[in-house]
Amino acid sequence: MRDKIVETKLRLLTLQLDNWKKLHDVITYGLDKTKPMISAERERQFTEIRANLLQETEHVFEELGILSELSGRAMNVLQRCVSVRGVRELSNEEVRRLESEWNGVFTKLGVVQGQLKSRRKTLAGQTPLTYYLSRLFPSLQPARR
Amino acid sequence: METRLLILNADPVFQDRALGIFDEIDDTETRVVRRLPEAVSVLLAENFDGFVVEGEAAIALEQATNARQHFPSLNIICLAPKPHDEEFISVAHQQKILRVSTSGGERSLRRQLHAFVRSLAQGGIPAEGIDPCHSLIGNLNQFSAAEILQMSCLGQRSGRFTFKSGRGNSEIYLAHGSVRHAVFGSLEGESAVAEIFRWRQGRFYFEEGIISQVQSVDRPWAHLLIDNLQKLDETMELSATGPV
Repeated sequence: MRDKIVETKLRLLTLQLDNWKKLHDVITYGLDKTKPMISAERERQFTEIRANLLQETEHVFEELGILSELSGRAMNVLQRCVSVRGVRELSNEEVRRLESEWNGVFTKLGVVQGQLKSRRKTLAGQTPLTYYLSRLFPSLQPARR
Repeated sequence: METRLLILNADPVFQDRALGIFDEIDDTETRVVRRLPEAVSVLLAENFDGFVVEGEAAIALEQATNARQHFPSLNIICLAPKPHDEEFISVAHQQKILRVSTSGGERSLRRQLHAFVRSLAQGGIPAEGIDPCHSLIGNLNQFSAAEILQMSCLGQRSGRFTFKSGRGNSEIYLAHGSVRHAVFGSLEGESAVAEIFRWRQGRFYFEEGIISQVQSVDRPWAHLLIDNLQKLDETMELSATGPV
C-alpha cells in the first residue's frame, strides 16, 4: 500500500535535503582558501540555492511538523551566509557556529527522512484491508523486531 | 517493476499539483530536479522510463524540445497551463512530446498522468542472453559505443552489434566498415546511432556476417562519429552548467 501523505512528505524532504547539501558544498568551497577564485557564476548558484531555501524552508518544516524545532537554526544559517565571499570572510568562531547550526538542521532532516522511509517500507507490505484492520485492532499487529 | 520518472519543475514545492498525483501512483519512483542542466546530468547518469517537464507553456516546451535533441528515444511529457496554441501543438507533435494541460480539472489531469505512467510500464525490456555465435562481447562502461564502432569500422567488419542496457536493446548493422542500419525502439538510422552513443552502461555483442537488408544510414562512419561526438560534447557541456 502506498500512502500519499508519506510520499508527499518524503518528496518535500528530499528536495529540502538536496538544497541543504548544495548549500554545504558552496559553503565548503567558499571556506577553502586554496581556491582563490569565486566566480560570478558561483555566487549566482549560491543565491539561487539560498533563495530556494528561504522561500521553502518554513513551508516544508511545517508540513513535516518540525517548524518550531528547526526554524530558528535554519534561519541562523541562511542569515549568516550572505554570499560565498561573505562566508570566506567569516571568523573561525562564526564558521564553527555556522557548521554546528547546519549540522543540527541536516541531522534532524536525515532522521525524519529515515522515519518516513521506514513508514513507507512498513506500508509497502500491507494491503489497504490489513492496514485498516491493524488500526482497528492494534493488538493484531506483528511484534516489531 | 518500478517505473522511474524524472520530473523537471522549477518550483516543485509550491507548484506541485502533478507531483501530488505522481505521489499516489503505485510502483512509480520519481526524482525531481529544478533546472534543465541538472536534468540532463541525471539523464546521462541514470535510466528513466519517462521525463516530465512542468512549467509555463513556452518555457516547458523549450526545455522539452532541448531534452529531445539530446535524448531522442526518451518518453517526454510536457505539463503546461494552456498547451493549446497551434505552434505549441505543432512543435510538440514534431518532437514527439506528449502534452497535457494542467489548467483543466483534477480528474482529467489524474487520468492523463495515470495513462502516461501505464504506457511507460507496458514497454518492458527483453531479457539479456548470450549466444555462442557472438564474436565480441563487452561492457559499455569499459568501452564506449564510439570506441568499439570505430575499431570495427577501421577493421572493415560486417555484422551486427547488439547493445543491451536498462534503456532497452538496440542494434547497429555494419557492412564493410560502414554503418548500414541502426534501430532502437521506434528510432531508426542516425537518431538511433546518436542515442546509443550516449549509453554509458550496458553490454554489447557482435555477430560477424549478419547484414541488414534495410539501409537507414547512408553517411560515412567518420561523419557520423564527428557529429555524434560533437552532440555528446554539447550534452556534457549542458549538464556541466548545473548548480554545484
